[in-house]
Order: sequence, then structure tokens, then C-alpha cells
Amino acid sequence: MMYYVRLVLQYAVTLFVALSINFFLPRLAPGEPINSLLPQDVIDEMSEEQIQRVLADYGLDLPILEQFWNYFTGIFSGDFGISVALGKPVWDVLIDRLPWTLLLMGCTLIISTLIGTFLGVISAWKRGNFTDVSITGIVLFIGSLPSFWIAMMFIVLFSTTLGWLPTFGAYPIGVPVGSWDWYLGVGKRMIMPLSAMVLVRGASVLLISRSAMLMSLDTDYIMFARAKGVSENRVFFSHAFRNAMLPLYTNVMMSIGGLIGGALVIETVFSYPGLGSVIGIGVGARDYNLLQGMFVFATLSVIVANFLTDLFYPLIDPRTRKTE
Amino acid sequence: MADKYINTRRFLAPFKTTTGKVQWLGIIILALLIIMAIFAPWIAGVGPTEEVGIPFEKPSTAHILGCNDAGQDLFSQLLHGARVSIFIGLSVATFSTFIAVLLAIIAGFYGGWIDKLIMRFVDIFLTLPFLPLVIVLGVVLGASLTTQIIVIASVMWAGPIRELRSQILSIRSLDFVEASQAMGASGRYIGLRHILPELAPLIVPQFIGIAHGAILVETSLSFLGLGDPSQISWGSILYHANVRTAFLTGSWVYWILPAGLAVAITVTALAFIGFGYDASLAPRIVRKNKSTIIPSKENPDKNAALSIRGLQVKYHSELEEIQAVRDIDLDLKHSELLGLVGESGSGKTTIAMAVLRLLPAAGEVISGTVLFQNQNLLALDDEQIRQMRGRKLALIPQSAMNALNPVMNIGKQLGEALNRGEKLSKNQQKQEVVHWLEKVGLEAFHAQSFPHELSGGMRQRAVIAIAICNKPNLVIADEPTTGLDVLIQEEIMALLLKLRKDLKLSILFVTHNLQLIARHADRLSVMYNGEIVDCGTAEQLRKSPTHNHTQDLFKNLPELTGTKRWSINYIKQEYPVIELLNVSKYFYNYNVFGFKTEKSIQALSSVNLKLFKGEKLGLVGGSGAGKSTIARIIMGMLQTDTGAVYFQDEKIENTKQRKVLAKSVHMVFQDPYQSMRNSMSIRDVVAEPLRIQGIKDIKEIEKRVRVALEEVHLPNDGDFMSRLPVALSGGQRQRVAFARAIITKPDVIIADEPASMLDQSVRMEIMELMEGLRIRHNTAFLYITHDIVLARHFCDRILVLKDGVIVEQGIVDKVIQTPQHNYTKALIAAT
Repeated sequence: MMYYVRLVLQYAVTLFVALSINFFLPRLAPGEPINSLLPQDVIDEMSEEQIQRVLADYGLDLPILEQFWNYFTGIFSGDFGISVALGKPVWDVLIDRLPWTLLLMGCTLIISTLIGTFLGVISAWKRGNFTDVSITGIVLFIGSLPSFWIAMMFIVLFSTTLGWLPTFGAYPIGVPVGSWDWYLGVGKRMIMPLSAMVLVRGASVLLISRSAMLMSLDTDYIMFARAKGVSENRVFFSHAFRNAMLPLYTNVMMSIGGLIGGALVIETVFSYPGLGSVIGIGVGARDYNLLQGMFVFATLSVIVANFLTDLFYPLIDPRTRKTE
Repeated sequence: MADKYINTRRFLAPFKTTTGKVQWLGIIILALLIIMAIFAPWIAGVGPTEEVGIPFEKPSTAHILGCNDAGQDLFSQLLHGARVSIFIGLSVATFSTFIAVLLAIIAGFYGGWIDKLIMRFVDIFLTLPFLPLVIVLGVVLGASLTTQIIVIASVMWAGPIRELRSQILSIRSLDFVEASQAMGASGRYIGLRHILPELAPLIVPQFIGIAHGAILVETSLSFLGLGDPSQISWGSILYHANVRTAFLTGSWVYWILPAGLAVAITVTALAFIGFGYDASLAPRIVRKNKSTIIPSKENPDKNAALSIRGLQVKYHSELEEIQAVRDIDLDLKHSELLGLVGESGSGKTTIAMAVLRLLPAAGEVISGTVLFQNQNLLALDDEQIRQMRGRKLALIPQSAMNALNPVMNIGKQLGEALNRGEKLSKNQQKQEVVHWLEKVGLEAFHAQSFPHELSGGMRQRAVIAIAICNKPNLVIADEPTTGLDVLIQEEIMALLLKLRKDLKLSILFVTHNLQLIARHADRLSVMYNGEIVDCGTAEQLRKSPTHNHTQDLFKNLPELTGTKRWSINYIKQEYPVIELLNVSKYFYNYNVFGFKTEKSIQALSSVNLKLFKGEKLGLVGGSGAGKSTIARIIMGMLQTDTGAVYFQDEKIENTKQRKVLAKSVHMVFQDPYQSMRNSMSIRDVVAEPLRIQGIKDIKEIEKRVRVALEEVHLPNDGDFMSRLPVALSGGQRQRVAFARAIITKPDVIIADEPASMLDQSVRMEIMELMEGLRIRHNTAFLYITHDIVLARHFCDRILVLKDGVIVEQGIVDKVIQTPQHNYTKALIAAT
């Protein structure tokens, strides 16, 4: 019981800190409060009275703690403020785009974990020989490539040169939503961003699973299992892999935070209509509300993922099961 | 065998090894890149933002990589981009590493709530998705080179803290830090002289890791248009290429490709440097292709349970090749208990593993025949030997602690072994599991238990159950009792003997514990340096050894009866040097909120102890009895909860007095491999107490170190003093520890199991050394041990400690001959 109370508390504090950073950052930035709303050239043309009215509209003339309270309660009722660039509530903008990011991330998570783990285990099995050395060598190199660059090279290869895949957006335009053609179009448009992300993330999963496997294979209980005469397959899977799963599980789940960042950057290359697409808009128009909203969304998904990770951890590690 | 503290804490692996070569390759590539970045203006000739060509100009001799949409030279941009990217990478790494090391040291060193606060914050911070955070920060703070560095550094600092902190904690808990504390060193002294030098090589890979990440983040940031617009970086080249959709035209070849590859090469170079940092601690294993094992020319004994002829085993590593076993012949008769005795590194475990064909990857059997049930085990294929293992040929491994799979319950692990014998139905298997658990003294419900829920002795029983459950013909027991408490060792031994009788087992018992095995084995084989030097019954070997080593071993094996090796020194004095009056000590558990919980462990209760000048007082007890707690309380490293410590009739209270005490009381630790730092010269190790006391005169220090080394019968020439402890054997290291202890001429030396980690043959030398010091300097010894036999020979008086209570004390021979307490009786019976 204490374990779960502790978990909930810990993630509540994490959420609070993330939201606080989000609130105080623009207020610590150089410039007047109005700068966080409008570009300088617009402000220059406004009268002092107009500026005050805008500030009052956004509640920016209130004492800082009151602003914080309003912001905080606002977040929990889905009020992320207005996107200045798009003239729409930030919540609406983000919630429209969230499914696309979740789709891309979810697929990446599953595919890269499966492939990465599989190759990592193979690599550990064949440790030191040609297969292992070439796999780890290639992976070390892939891990050193910027993910968006891989995406650009994909476009060069599969779209520009071979003309196989479309480079823009997430779904075909002018095709009835929900039809077979539409799903086909969605699938085709997902291949490249997905592969780019799977490559980069799969590489890191591979390294993690390889070292977890090697560590596990090097233990006394593996030697003892062999001494029992247990078959090599059983030694490998029910003993070594079962134990390698523990660090693998935590490491893989903890890397979700990084995955979101990767997804956002990749999305901009393909003009994919997920959360990443607000980066271009937000950065171009200096739209703080929008970017902060994106940050809160990203944080929330990491917190949820980590929370679930911790919640289920006792299932795979009996040592953390507490009988209370 | 305890894990020896790995001494090669250097960042770069030796060049001879693959790891070393990869690291050097990384360093060379990075150096070239940095040189190119520095000389970019001269190499390129034109500035990166000068419009020198026509837009989208194709590569030519004038513009090697052509021009971008604005007619700027792309080759020049690439070179100048290196400046920005590498500069940012290295500055971020410097900043972040600095912050991380600082916070890690604060957290690791102060501990308590400061540590908790910092680590909680780090945990929270690490949860935040950092690229989105960097983007928000970047937009809010505006784009410039400095903001980029600040922004990236502000998210990169947290990553390394956790690892650095745990490294600091592990360094802090090492004996040499404790030794330094015991000598009275201040926190500052320990931090600067011990922790920082040990931590330094661990900081480097963190630095590399951050630089690696920072370059990639910078590229992403600039790619999103958040870079400094006045600077060209690799990311901004790609940003412009993306905005101009260069990938849709042929210009990608010279616009997109080179910048991306430049990032990749730089980051790979960093990865290479950091690569195999873990591996640089130990030379890599070299795997040899399986070559056929040459069978022995001699014929094995067909009537024996196990017959080995001409066995030779080598270990290969990148740096060297070691012959661990040379030409061994060994016969184990049916139903015999044969003790294979040897000191650490003599090759005894290697023989056991070679028979089972379970040598680690580095090991290779060169030649030999191992005959078991009319089959040469070394000639079987993998599947055939697997069929033998667990059924006919079983292993009880070293360190049962780790031999059980932590995530599988005992029932399953036992059932798995059972199923190998014959296919059993679920019900049958359940019954069998319970049968074997009860056979080894466990209970039926233990089938549901996980290893971490059992005590050390119970785990050893479980392991034995697994080993014998298919009624094997031969059991190889590899140090099955090592690491267990003396009395538990005895129980396990009794269990093995009973099973041996019930199941008619032939047992090859591998151990370093001659005292234990000599009492039980039918015959002993003595190993020395990879060879069997002697074989026979314990009595034969004791009386007429054929090899010097056997003679040494038995000479160093004291018995409870017979004359005392060191004479008693009757002390009649009024005032003790050290007195403990009614000392109690509790250890508390803490709950989630950091408050003491009700449950506490009483480590000591109302301990009274007096130690007189020139006296040898033995403190005897099993593990967890509170022996070390007493030592730490005397050294002032632990506070008492009730009661008081007196030194020459003065109550020891505040830390100032503790410093006085540090001169007069010194401690020698159990493990000579950990009690001194490996990268300090022997001169510095021995001189440490003097330095802590503020003596700076080099000539005086040198003189006193020489005298101290002479006292402990070590060479004291400059060459020896400049050596590192790594070059010494365990016995020599313990002598150095004693030299360090006596350099301030203390009145009292607390010796915490000073001989127990050493090989049998050098134990007596260390005891002899202590006796000599006592005679020459009238030093008092508090001798802490679990070995009542050694205590009997060495001490004048002994105290028997059990669960924090002194249960018996008195003149040594009186206690041994007429023990009163059951625990003392049990200890004596166990010898």
C-alpha cells in the first residue's frame, strides 16, 4: 500500500514542478508581461491603455500568486489559454493533434522495443563474434545520427529518387475519411516518420537489452542453471532473459520522455499534423501559450507512462512485492 | 572469496586491447575535427555567410560542396559549423559536469535530508521530456549562442548525478575511507585526498556522454530554427536545407548529406572514446575457437567414481594467457569424500568447473581425460554432457547467495531440476519438491518462497536440495560453506554428511578451509599453483607431508588443544587504557517521511569492556554479533545511544577529544585489498596518519615511514616505498596496514579479523607480527575474530559476544576449557 501512496505522491510533485516551471519561465524571461503575448512591432503601435486592457483580458495584471492559482486551476479544467498565432484555445489545437502523435509514438514504442530487444538478445547470444560486432557497430553509428536527418535522407531515397511514398502530412486529402484508400494513405504516410524513429529508438533499446542480457548471462544463477542440466534454450529464455527484463523494462519505459522529443522533431520534417507541428507555428510566432501547452501535454504523457511503469513493476520483480 | 577492489580505475584502456584501440581512434578523429574547426577560416578561404557564388551552384573546384540558396559556400559553412557544434558540445559538457559533480558530492557526502532533497529533485527533473523543455526555454530566452549553451546545459546536468552519487557512496563506504576516518581525518581531507581522486576517472565518461548528447540537441534546436541566426552550425545548415526543401532537388548530396555525416562522425568519435568504459576495467575475454582436447596418454582408473588424468586448463585474455591447472591427476573413489584444498588462485575451482564442462568463456581445457561412468567427459558433445549434469553429476556452487534465480520461486527452481530426471505429473512433482525440501531441513511452504525471503543458511539448503534431487552419483561441492556463519557452516556440513550416507554420494569437496575439511574428509588433495602437490588422509599429510606447502598449511593450522602458540601476558593494572561502560547502540529503520519507526535493531546492549596496556583481548562472535560496532564506537565513528567510552579515564565525548584518541588508538581492517587506496604509493599510505595530524616535514615523514616499514619486516628502500599496493600480495598489504597503524606509536591497536582474508599460510606470520609489536612497544590489542581457535592461541583474555550481548568472558584457557554459556560451547564444538 505504502508503495502506491508513495508513487502517487511522487508523480503529483513531478506534475506540480513541471507546471510551475511552465508558469514561471516566461515570467522570468526578459521584457514586459505584454511581450509574452504579442510581438514587439504590434506592441509598439499600441497605446498604454490598450496594453493594460489586453493584460487585464489575460489576467496578467493580477498579483503573481493569484495568476499562479488561476493558471493552475485553469490547467485542470482544460484551460491552457488562447493561442495567439492561431486565435483558438490552446486546448482545442492540441487535442486535435494529439491522436496523430500518439499513433506515431505508440507504433514506434511497440515496434522499436520488439525489434531492439530481439536484436539485442541475438547480439548478446553471439557476443564477441562477427554478428555481434557488426550489429553493435552499426547501432553505435545510427545512435549518433540526428533523427531528423535520417528522415530527410529517407525522403531523398523513397520519395525523390524512387517516388514510392508521399512526403507530406498524415492522411490523403480528397479521399473520404474512413475508406480503405484513406487508411492506405495514412499507412503510407506513416512509414517514413515511423521508420526514422524506430531506427533511432530501436538502436538505443538494442544497446540496453544487449547489456542487460550480458549482465544477466554473467551471473552465478545462470551457471547453476547450466549445472542443473537445464536446456540451453531454457537457460537463455526462462533464466537470463527473464532477469534481463527487469532493467530493460525500466530503461525502455524511462526513455519515453526522449521519444516525445524525437517525435516532435520528426513531425516537423514531414509536416505531420501532430503536436510537433505546433513547434513551427509556435517558434515562428513566438506563441508561448501554444508551446507551453505542448510542453504540458508532453510532460503529462511521460508522467502517465512512468506511473504505469512503476505500477506494474512488482509484477515482474518479486523482490519489490510487499505483503502488507 | 571477497570481490577484490578493482585497481585499474583508469579511463583509457591499454592500447593493446581492442577497447583501447577504439578509444584512441575516437580521440584521433575528435582531435582532427577540432583542428579543422580551429583553422576553419584558413582552410575554407571564404567566410560562411559571404555570398561568393551563384545560388544553388553545383560543386566545383572553387566551391567543393557548392553553394546554398543564398550563394554562400557550403564547404566553408561546414567547417565553421564544426566550430559552433563542438564549442557548444564541450561548453555544455563542462558546465553540466561541473554542476553534476558538485551536487553529487554534496548529496553523497552530506547525506540525510540534503541528499534526499537533491535526489528527489533530480528524479522529478529527469521525468520531464527534455527536448520540449529545451524548445520552450529556447523560445522564451531568445536565440543566441550563450542561451543555447545555458538552455542545453540546464537540462543535461541531472542525468549524471544519480550515477556519480552512487559512485561517491560506494567510494565512501570503502574501507580506505573508513580507515582515514579512523585515523581522525576531517571530511575535507577525505574529500580531497581520497574521494575526488577516485571519482575523477568516473567523471570523464559522464563528460563525454553529455558532450555527445549536447551536440545532438544543439543540432535539433538549430534545425527547429532556435539557433543563433548570426552563427552557422550544422543544425542551421540543415534547417535552411529543410526550409528550401533541398531534399526534393539534387542539391541534397552536397547540402544535406555532409552536415548530417559531420554530426554523425563527431558524435561517433565521442561514443568511441566513451566506448567500453566498463570494459576498460578488465581486459576483454578472448574466445578461442574450439580445438580438440588432447586425451591423456595415461589410462584413468576405471574403478574410481571419477578419474582425472593429465588435465591442463588455460585462461585467455587480451593481455595475457594464464595456465591455471597443470597436468593434474586425481581419483575419487566410490562413496568417498575427497577434499580438494588450496589457497586462492591455486586452480581448485577450475578443476571442478572443467569436470562439469562449465568453465567461463575465457577458460580452455588444453588436454586431459576425465573418466566418469566409463565415459570421457571431455570428449562428450554439448548435449551429452548436459544430460549428465544434474542427473549423475551435480554441483553445489560457491556463494549460494547468488546461485538461485532471484525472480523464480524455490519450488519452480527445484521442480525444473526434478523434471530433468523423469517426466513427472504436476502432482507428483509437487510431492517430490516437498520431499526434497524436507530432506534438507526446509519446509513445504518454502516452495513458494523467493530466494530473497530466505536466510543464507536456508538458501544453501535449497541449493543442496536442487543438486541432490536426482540422486546423482557424484557431487562437486565448491566452497559450499564459505561466507556463512561458523555455526551455520557446521549445520550445512552435517547435512552434507547425512545426505552422503543416505544417498551414497561420492563428493569432491573444494575448499580453502583446511580446518573444516580436515575433520570430515576421507582423503585430502592439496593444490598449489595449479598442481596437486600432496594427497592422503589428513593424518598422513599432517605427519609426513611430501611437499613444503602442505607442511606450511598444517603448521599454520592451530588446534584448540595443545600448547598455546603465544604466551599469556598477565596484566595486573588498576586503570584500563580503554573502557566501555554500559554501552548500548540501536539502529533504526526510517519510514517514507524520514521519521524513525518503532522497529529498531539493538546492535549492542549494556556492553562493558576493559582493555589494559599491553594486553591482548579477544572479541569473539559470529556475523552480526556486534563486534565491528564495538570497534567503530571505540574509534568514535559511531555514537553510543547509552553508556560511555573512557580513554585513560577520560570520557570521550566531543570530536576534539576524538582527534587526541586518533593518535593513541589505531585500527587494522579485515580486508587489506580495500583498506588502502590503490593509486597511492606505499610511502603515502603509511604516512597518512602523520599527514592527518598535520606533520608536513618531508624528511621527518620519510624517516618515520622507513622505521615503521622496518618494524613490520618490509623492505624500506625508496624503490619499495614508491610502489603501489597493487604490486603486493595480501600478506604484504596487511603488513603495510600494520606499518600505517604503528607509525604514530599508538597505545591500542584494534585488529578486526586481520588474518581472515589472507591465505592460510601467511595468517600466522601476521599473528606473529602482532605479538612482536606487543612485546616491543607494549601495545594493547583488541583482537576481533570469529575464529575461537586463533583467539585461544593469541589472546590473554576473551569476550564472547552474541547478538550484542557479552555472554561470557575471562582468561582465555579458562573459557575454552570450562565454557559456561551454550553459545561458547557451540563455538568450541564447531572447531
